[in-house]
Amino acid sequence: MESVWFGYLKPLNGLLSEDTLRASNPTVLSNFGGNTYRAGWYPLPMVWCYNKDLFDKAGLDADAPPKTWAELLEACDKLKTVGIEPLGGGMQDGYWAEWYMSHAFVQTLDTVGEAVELFIGDKDFNDPRYYEHWVRLEELRTLGFLNKDMPSLELYPGIDLVVAGKLGMGQSIGSRLPADSKATNGRIGSMVMPVFGKGQLAGKPIVDTQGLGIAEGSANPEAAAAFIEYLNTPERLGAFHKATGWLPSSSRFDAELIEDASVKSMWKAWGQSPNITNVTNLMPGQFYEQAAIPTGQQVVQGTLTGEQAGELAARVAQEWRDFNPDLVEKYQEWVVDLSK
Amino acid sequence: MMLSRKLTPYLYLAPMLALLTFVFGFSILRVFEFSFKMVRGIDGPWIGLRNYRLVLSQPLFWESVKHNLILLLAIPAMVAIALLLSLLLYDRLRGWKIYRTILFFPYILAIPIIAVVMKQMFQFSGPVNEVLRWLSLDFMALDWIGSTDVALWTVMMLIIWRESALGVILFLSRLLSLDESMVEAARLDGANWWQRAWHVLIPQMRGVIEFYVVISVITMLSSVFAYVYMMGGGRGGPGTSTMITELYIYNALTRTSLPGIASAVSVMLFVVSLALIYLLFVIRRRDHGDGA
Amino acid sequence: MKASHSFKQAVLILACIVALLPSMFMILTALKSQEEYTFNKVGLPGAPVGEHFQAILFDSPFFLWMLNSAILAFGAVVLGTLVSCTGAYAIARMEFRGRDTIFAISTSLMAVPPVVMIVPLFVLYTQLGLISTFSGAIVIYAGLITPFSVYLLTTFFRTLPQELFDAAVIDGCNHNQILCHVVLPLSVPALLTLVVVNALFVWNDLLVAVIFLQEDGKRTLMAGISVFQGRYNNQIPLSMAGMVVASAPMVILYITFQRYFIRGLMAGAIK
Repeated sequence: MESVWFGYLKPLNGLLSEDTLRASNPTVLSNFGGNTYRAGWYPLPMVWCYNKDLFDKAGLDADAPPKTWAELLEACDKLKTVGIEPLGGGMQDGYWAEWYMSHAFVQTLDTVGEAVELFIGDKDFNDPRYYEHWVRLEELRTLGFLNKDMPSLELYPGIDLVVAGKLGMGQSIGSRLPADSKATNGRIGSMVMPVFGKGQLAGKPIVDTQGLGIAEGSANPEAAAAFIEYLNTPERLGAFHKATGWLPSSSRFDAELIEDASVKSMWKAWGQSPNITNVTNLMPGQFYEQAAIPTGQQVVQGTLTGEQAGELAARVAQEWRDFNPDLVEKYQEWVVDLSK
Repeated sequence: MMLSRKLTPYLYLAPMLALLTFVFGFSILRVFEFSFKMVRGIDGPWIGLRNYRLVLSQPLFWESVKHNLILLLAIPAMVAIALLLSLLLYDRLRGWKIYRTILFFPYILAIPIIAVVMKQMFQFSGPVNEVLRWLSLDFMALDWIGSTDVALWTVMMLIIWRESALGVILFLSRLLSLDESMVEAARLDGANWWQRAWHVLIPQMRGVIEFYVVISVITMLSSVFAYVYMMGGGRGGPGTSTMITELYIYNALTRTSLPGIASAVSVMLFVVSLALIYLLFVIRRRDHGDGA
Repeated sequence: MKASHSFKQAVLILACIVALLPSMFMILTALKSQEEYTFNKVGLPGAPVGEHFQAILFDSPFFLWMLNSAILAFGAVVLGTLVSCTGAYAIARMEFRGRDTIFAISTSLMAVPPVVMIVPLFVLYTQLGLISTFSGAIVIYAGLITPFSVYLLTTFFRTLPQELFDAAVIDGCNHNQILCHVVLPLSVPALLTLVVVNALFVWNDLLVAVIFLQEDGKRTLMAGISVFQGRYNNQIPLSMAGMVVASAPMVILYITFQRYFIRGLMAGAIK
């Protein structure tokens, strides 16, 4: 949203038809102050993936993945007993830590606006409720459920471990599913992260989105808008799917065109059902770089406890406030938008 | 005629002065200016020393500086390795030219390339650890890339590996320019290889060793961006264990939109570099007096 | 005597192995298939494959990136050298007020770390729309290499005997002619060294490249490698093949022009 506050984007409300804009699913992340600044382009469902063959091997029900934290720990235990590394991925480039917050941190919240309040220091990360997700990550580590090379491996090679049958569960992104499903003959499953949190947002599927906007300095915004309209016609949406193998964001896309059963069922549960957005998109760059990523990395590594991660996050939120006093108000305005 | 005579030097100088004024003059003045402003995008209001105060009270900044200082520990190792190898090459045993060509090779490869290769070699489940485990040296199979305790030392290993090669060439050319009679005399007196090296050769290399140390110090403080950017996943990771000053500046500029903060740190780095160069100047001047 | 000889050779050989180890790993891995690498990380490739090299040579942006790097290196070296030749000539062979001061300031600029310049130049270029333009980056690189070039050329020009100039003046030459027909031909070794140093500096640079050339089509080789590594970090043999191809130009040049290379790199370090 900082791009909007710095004046880089035009509002789309006058330029695109209301219907097209709404159908494109821009998500709440594209709105500010009553205007919408992005049209949805393609979705990024955020999922926890698991290898169904490995679940079978461990005696788990491949079609009923764990839903609660207790079930998750039990599943990890069973996987470990048969010699499979239960959970994890690749942490070296840091994105796993971001995704972990998307899935786990959000479970402790009631509204998405609450996340922003924490990022800007209006609420405190030192409150145990808000650092609980890092405590849970610490728990996974101390129980020995995370893969040993997690700190040195990068995100995508980490997901490959699940696909290759070397890791039981991991965090993944929906757009990988077509390829991964094909490579394993449909044996990659998608689940919502098992629930430990008591916030109202817990247990809901998460769908992020990539969007298209129009620059403030655009020479011909009407042409740009017409192009976006064109991209959102059912024919073009179908063509997008055919060319990329992935889904466009608009609800005008005919879901029957999806061939892979896993992708179809995933999209049904994520895109076509009530979902929430990715809270890590709401954090200022400084928080992202200096708190979101290092906390996850260090908890997994064992150099920070969950509580210390909360301290780090709180401190960085304060530092952001000191470094960026001119943005605090804007973010507070945004909280109002996001809490509706 | 007289007029053009007077102007000629300045005409010849003009392009150089224009370029330097733009790239350096403008930049240095502007970076000082920005360091006192709250810059958003292109400009911002004057805020005096606030940027400096914010940065100097931020743990992350001091961590970055600390990491640069830790990298200085690479220098004794670099000097020792370069000395040893250059002295061995100086013996000019059979095939020494081939050895020299190979030993300089690390410096030929660009840093990004070698960093990508090293990053793979030192993966927790990668070839280096595989060999170590195979040799039953499991305790040495550390998490070179992923551990916050080890990562910076891994970067340091890479720096030592590459920068020692430069030392070898600098030291060797100095050795090859020395008068051999003193070494001969020492050998006839019964001095062994080590004694000849320690008492005759190394003292004559003092100038080039000092020079190498000073430029290495400057490198560790202000020119290790490429190493860290490639090895640390672009963000000084894991955690913040490989964050260094240049990366701090880069992040402040590109990832957190705080050019004012980036400028403040740049100014501090600039001042420190100038001080070190002045030191080098003093050393070289002293050595030129010694006839180095 | 013989025993210590063997010991010395052994140390040198060990050092050579350490020096070459990463390159050996790079090449051997590039020849392994993706599957083979998962279980055979250390040994020789059991069944060498050329597919990775094929992908890199025919289907990757590597050559575009190398072309971009070459354009920058060429442009910066030409501009920087031209500017430095005329400037150094003036400082070395002409009398004018402020001569020593200008030389002192120019030389001390060699000490300024490039990172100090990037913030103001980035902001300015954003204002002027010069981000991701070759001309913008070439100017920056040319500026960065000028202090060293002026220093080197000035010291060199100063060593040329006065008689040459006197003879040329008597012959009726003006400065331009002296520079082009007398000084430069004699400066070829110094110029070559300078070209090598400067071209290497631009080719190997990462910091300026990632900040000022962000557009995909304008990326340099070094910036491209950092992007490539992130995109294909799960295909290690392919990455290694990319690294082999990326290092090829410098390695070939090194082996062919060893002497100039070594001289140039040393001169560069003295910067």
